[in-house]
Order: sequence, then C-alpha cells, then structure tokens
Amino acid sequence: MSLKLTTQAYCKMLLHAAKYPHCAVNGLLVAEKHKKKDSPRDSVLCVDCVPLFHGALALAPMLEVALTLKSRLIRPGNIFPVFNCPILIDAWCKENKYVIAGYYQANERIKEARPNQVAEKVAARISENFSEAAMIMWKCREPSTDCFEDWIEAQKITAALLESKSYESLVDFDNHLDDLRNDWTNPEINKSVLHLC
Amino acid sequence: MLKIVFFNDTEKKRHSLLEFTWARCSFVIFATMVKNGLPNMVSFSVCLLCSVWIIYEQVMIAALDCSRDDLAWSCLQELKRQFPDSHRVKRLAGMRLEALERYEDANKLYDSILQDDPTNTAARKRKISILRAQGKSSEAIRELNEYLEQFVGDQEAWHELSELYINEHDYAKAAFCLEELMMTNPHNHLYCEQYGEVKYTQGGLENLELARKYFAQALKLNNRNMRALFGLYMPHLTNLRHPKLQKPRDLLPEAEMRLIGVQLKFQHIHGEGLSC
Repeated sequence: MSLKLTTQAYCKMLLHAAKYPHCAVNGLLVAEKHKKKDSPRDSVLCVDCVPLFHGALALAPMLEVALTLKSRLIRPGNIFPVFNCPILIDAWCKENKYVIAGYYQANERIKEARPNQVAEKVAARISENFSEAAMIMWKCREPSTDCFEDWIEAQKITAALLESKSYESLVDFDNHLDDLRNDWTNPEINKSVLHLC
Repeated sequence: MLKIVFFNDTEKKRHSLLEFTWARCSFVIFATMVKNGLPNMVSFSVCLLCSVWIIYEQVMIAALDCSRDDLAWSCLQELKRQFPDSHRVKRLAGMRLEALERYEDANKLYDSILQDDPTNTAARKRKISILRAQGKSSEAIRELNEYLEQFVGDQEAWHELSELYINEHDYAKAAFCLEELMMTNPHNHLYCEQYGEVKYTQGGLENLELARKYFAQALKLNNRNMRALFGLYMPHLTNLRHPKLQKPRDLLPEAEMRLIGVQLKFQHIHGEGLSC
C-alpha cells in the first residue's frame, strides 16, 4: 500500500517549512474519504495538507484541539443557528469529505530526521481512526519520486512559489490561534498552485 | 533610534517577528544600495552617522540568515575596520563561522573573548547556541543552567531553557523556568498560557487543576487569548474521562459560551481582530 502526494499537499508542506526555517514544523495530511468501506485502498492519495504548528511541538493542549476537538459546540437543534465552523479541522474535513490520513514533521535541525516521541504519538492517534495512516519526516535530500502524483510539476510549481516568497502568506494553525481571521485552509495558496498547474 | 537586534538560534519569541521583519527590510534596502552602488550611499551614511554601524551589524546577521556569506563578509570587514579590537565584532565573526558550520573555530573565538572578559554574556550564549545547533541538548541544558546560576535575571536564557526542557519532554523543569519568567513578568499572558500548556501536558489531577487556573489567569490578562480559551475548555474533556477529578464548577458552561461567542463574533463581524 503506497502513499502519494498531490502537488498542492507537497507545496504547502514545503512552504510551511520555508516560512519557519529556524523552527520545527508539523502538520496533517488529508485524503479523500474512500467510498467503498469494505474494499481496501490500493494507494492513499493525500490531496491536501493542514500546516499545524511551529516552534514547540511537544505541548499537548493545542495539538489535542487540532486533532480531537469535534464541532460539538454548534450543531443542529442548538439555540444558535448552524454555522460552518472554520476553526476546527474535524468540521472542515467532514465538510470536504476528507479524512486525516497522515502526519508530517520537519525537525529543527536539518540533519536530524528521526521521528521523535511527538511524531510517534500523533501518528499512532491518527492510525486509530485511519488504518493506512502515514508519517512523513523531512530530510535534506531529494525525495523518492514514487510518492508524488507528478514530481516534475510539483518541483516546478514549488520553485515558482518559493521564488515569489508565497510562504510569507501561508497560515498554519498556530497563526490561526494568534488571529482568528487567518484562514489555515490557505485558499490563496491553493489558488496559486491551481493557477500554476 | 534604531534598536539593536540580535538574531541567533535561540531567539524564537513571538514578538521578535516584527524585529525580524525590520531587519529583513534593512537588509533589502542596504543590499540594494550595495548592489547598485547608488550615489545616495554616502548621504545615507552621513544621515545615519554612527547608526550606520548598527545597520551593518543587523544586515550582517540577516545575511547569515539568508546564507549570503558574501554580504556578511563585506559587512564584517567594514565593522572590523571601524572597530578593530571590539568583542562585539569578534562575536559577529564567530557567528559567521557558526553559519559556515566551523564550530571548532567559532568556539575558539568565543573562548578568546571570554578569556579577556569572563562576564561577556553574549559569547557564553553563543557557545550554548553551538551546542544546540550540534544537537547536544543535554550539554546545552547543563551549560545554560551554569550560566543562569550566575546571571539569574536573564529572561531570554530562562525562556530558552524552558524550550530545551520541553523538547526533552522534561515538563517539570520547563514549568520551573516558566515560573521564573512569570515572577519577573506577572502581566505577560503568554507566559501564563504557556505554563498552563506545560502543566496540562504533564498530566495528573493537580497539574490539570493548575493548568486550568493559569489558563484562566491568561484570559484575565488578555481576554482575546484563543489558546487560553481552548485550554480552559480542554481540561473539562479530560475531566469526563477521569471522573475522580473535581467538577469544574460551572467553568465548562462559561468556557463553552465564550467559545460560541467567539465563533459568532468571527462569523458576523469578521473585521474585528480576535487576536492575542
């Protein structure tokens, strides 16, 4: 069972790491929900990524908010009208029929690429809900081209985005918690990637 | 008056993002001038007078961040010419060696600074940064502890030590470092909130209670701190799994109502900044 990344997922992961070169960064990978529940997938295609945190990754509360907090605050039948809740990842996944399929992490030091305790715990938690979950650790080496939907296109688009410093406008969950107006789904970057495709 | 900014591996405070942006702007302005050799360069220097040396220093550090060794070297030469025996310039030379991963040479340079001036804190901190860059966390922690025994009031160092302990998952000691910071900065909501996060991560009945208290304190200091608001809400969920924990005494309804209020505000108003 293999893992494949779309250009969008790869670009956003790289831009997240490029925005915070002095920090460790991590995030989630999402895949489309498989329609046939009984038959297993041939490969998992990660269509998008959700950049989570930068800096101190080993603190639990915000990670739990990102991974486990469900949109129980606002639901039908409540006295408040139903809104789309952009704050919570779970609600966004349900809306777009995605499932959290993986986790990526880039450590602070380039040469250190081993998954740490945090990475292993998060990956274990994700695999509880999704059996074919994957973990990606960033290394300072060219990755194997097998795990890309289109490696040449991904390279070209990523180079263009890095050149234009699009990473400055990338928003991760940390930025969203700093200012709720920041949208961690990064629609502008998604548009740029689509435009360059 | 231009503010001196020192960018090293240890400075990762959130508020330094603004200073980082300012250094980048200075770097862009100065690099453009150096590249184009504009005639304004002389008048620029004249206008700045002695502040131009601070610009050279900041541009050099920004150049190291951007792997522009050529620019860093030219800035260093100018500074060496102007201040031939300065420890501050020597430290910058050491930082350049660190950027080139020549850690042994950098260490020798810093040792020579410390031989002349044992109270030079910048050189000592750079040596600790080298240990961190090499991945020697336990040695870095040990050195930083020794440094803090002598320089107890250095808040940057306490914050750095708390980060090192968090990365090593030694949450009890990280909490101690944050307590030191909270004592000197009782009105800083970020330290309260981070302390709450460390206590929550530590786990256990007492720590969860403490975490809740500190999240509440952070909210009291800044009622727009989203992390503190979520932090106040999260321990309740843990309470549900540990029935022996004391009931939150109406904290959940309050936290839930506040979170719903935040969401409503976000949806309807949109323009109002809900930020730290």
